[in-house]
Amino acid sequence: MATYILRRLIQSIPIIIGISVISFAIVYLTPGSPVDKFRTPRVSPATIQNLIHLYGLDQPLPLQFWNWFTHFWSFPWDNTAWGYSFTDGLPVRDRIFQRIPSTLLLMGTSLLVTVVLAIPIGILQAVKQYSWADKVITTFETIGYAMPTFWLGLILKQLLAVQFKVLPLYGQNTLGKQGDIADMALHLVLPVTTLAIISVAGWSRYMRAAMLEVLRQDYVRTARAKGLGPGRVIGRHALRNAMIPIVTLLGLTVPGLLSGAAITETVFSWPGLGWLGVQSVTERDYPVVLAVVMIGGTMVIIGNLLADIAYAIVDPRIHY
Amino acid sequence: MARSDAPRPIAAVAGAPGGGFDEVDLVPVQTYWQLVRRRFFQNRMAVIALFLMAALILSAIIFPIIGGDSWFRTDLLKGPKDPVSLTAPLGYDNLGINIFFRLMKALRTSLIIGFFAVLIIAGIGTAFGSISGYAGGLLDNVLMRIVDIVLSLPGFFLVLMLVAFLGSGSVLVIIFAIGLTGWTTAARLVRAEFLRLREADFVQAAKALGASDRRIIIRHMVPSAIAPVVVAATLGIADSVVTEAALSYLGFGLRPPEASLGNMLTGAQDYFYRQPLWIYYPGIMLILLVLAASFLGDGLRDALDPRQRIEA
Repeated sequence: MATYILRRLIQSIPIIIGISVISFAIVYLTPGSPVDKFRTPRVSPATIQNLIHLYGLDQPLPLQFWNWFTHFWSFPWDNTAWGYSFTDGLPVRDRIFQRIPSTLLLMGTSLLVTVVLAIPIGILQAVKQYSWADKVITTFETIGYAMPTFWLGLILKQLLAVQFKVLPLYGQNTLGKQGDIADMALHLVLPVTTLAIISVAGWSRYMRAAMLEVLRQDYVRTARAKGLGPGRVIGRHALRNAMIPIVTLLGLTVPGLLSGAAITETVFSWPGLGWLGVQSVTERDYPVVLAVVMIGGTMVIIGNLLADIAYAIVDPRIHY
Repeated sequence: MARSDAPRPIAAVAGAPGGGFDEVDLVPVQTYWQLVRRRFFQNRMAVIALFLMAALILSAIIFPIIGGDSWFRTDLLKGPKDPVSLTAPLGYDNLGINIFFRLMKALRTSLIIGFFAVLIIAGIGTAFGSISGYAGGLLDNVLMRIVDIVLSLPGFFLVLMLVAFLGSGSVLVIIFAIGLTGWTTAARLVRAEFLRLREADFVQAAKALGASDRRIIIRHMVPSAIAPVVVAATLGIADSVVTEAALSYLGFGLRPPEASLGNMLTGAQDYFYRQPLWIYYPGIMLILLVLAASFLGDGLRDALDPRQRIEA
């Protein structure tokens, strides 16, 4: 197991270098330069040249990449590792770390809601396959799965915040109520509902399929034949095995916990990493964009690794 | 979807009745494509999806022609308060633009972007996957690590970056951005298919006859490996259409006066209070498109390759 993890870690190094090269290339090879916004009549060309020199933009591209890449990973102890934001001049690392709690709160809550709802729904559907409940739920799942996140967010906002005025329209806190937990919980309801509806639709389908697969197995029939009650057969024998693919799914969701949900956060102006990413793309705040992409990519790699490890832990048949 | 299991035409080849073993008359009853068509039309959801998709495509062609320039022509004498009529089934917006024709124009944009993006996805995916699967060894390893890298990058955010930095507001850039980031699944599918086909008899025969690698790949293997690509491409239309709508909604894609389902939603957002219905029109269009594409894709998968059928 330890050697497997080590091997996987070594294998992910080229992938991390790869995502760095691609994100760096997209940001630096596209038209426009970071100093463009200083090119006004009031700034002398000499100053621009100084800026270019200061930011190292006159160095060869591979060297620029190397400097950036090596500096990037010193972030745990160096708060300038990710550079300074072009919009407010603050260290990028601080801007990003400031957003992480919000994203964790939003994504964690919606993941919790999703798991709590989707697993029982999936089990119910599998146990009562082809019943009217299964059919009705499947229909809702199909529609839920087809709904674009941002549109679902919009109609929920329209219905609950505008029409019936029971929930706040956007943001994390009402102005002047920072730190008020009850107020924040109210603000959390709409974005969490949006994310949860979409992911419950997907997850319960997985759960249903996994459960159906298990219910067909011989050991489930054996358990029934030896006279166990339905609760024990499903709870002890079927569910534990049906959870294996779900654990993998959970591992694949972990990256989203940090990188956030760009679209949902933007729709609800939720001050998380996803919204920060969208904002910085709009403002062409390259250092922030780069950091957000790098975090997203690295989290995906970690998530995949976690999924594989979790898979081996919950499924004793798998050895590495 | 186990209900259509009853009349399963498994026997593509039937022995002549009554004949002895040594005089079996091998009559091809149905060709592969006949079987595919039959399986497809037995699937109720797939047929409904086919009709829905056809209806959407037809509306996207016909209504913009009928409407002429009414999808962007403003009319200060008309507004949301005007009653709906046959010429304006969904009424007029705040600028006096005919909402129905604007919606149809937006639908057309979505479909164009969806189809062309998927074409790029299928093209890159097939090329990448076939080379990787055919070559094997080190090249395969390197190419697949590239797929891993692209898969690790946050997808929507990557599209957002490409579109924003290469020039938002252009249909071409959007198609290019979606196509360039979405080909990984297709590549993996084609590679898997090629790994399987590489050892197939007809490929070995072609090799023995001295066909060049290029000829073997293009003439012999790609046609046999195309089924999963067609399925992935059909399913990909749904993703591409939603991605475009999200881009335009966030202000990175098409901007007014260009019509897009996404920017219609952005516009409708300002009329949350007075015209709540306006956010439903583009949204329902999107859902219909997504449903049509996904059921069509599922139906094609079941029809093209019954072995892949999943009981779910």
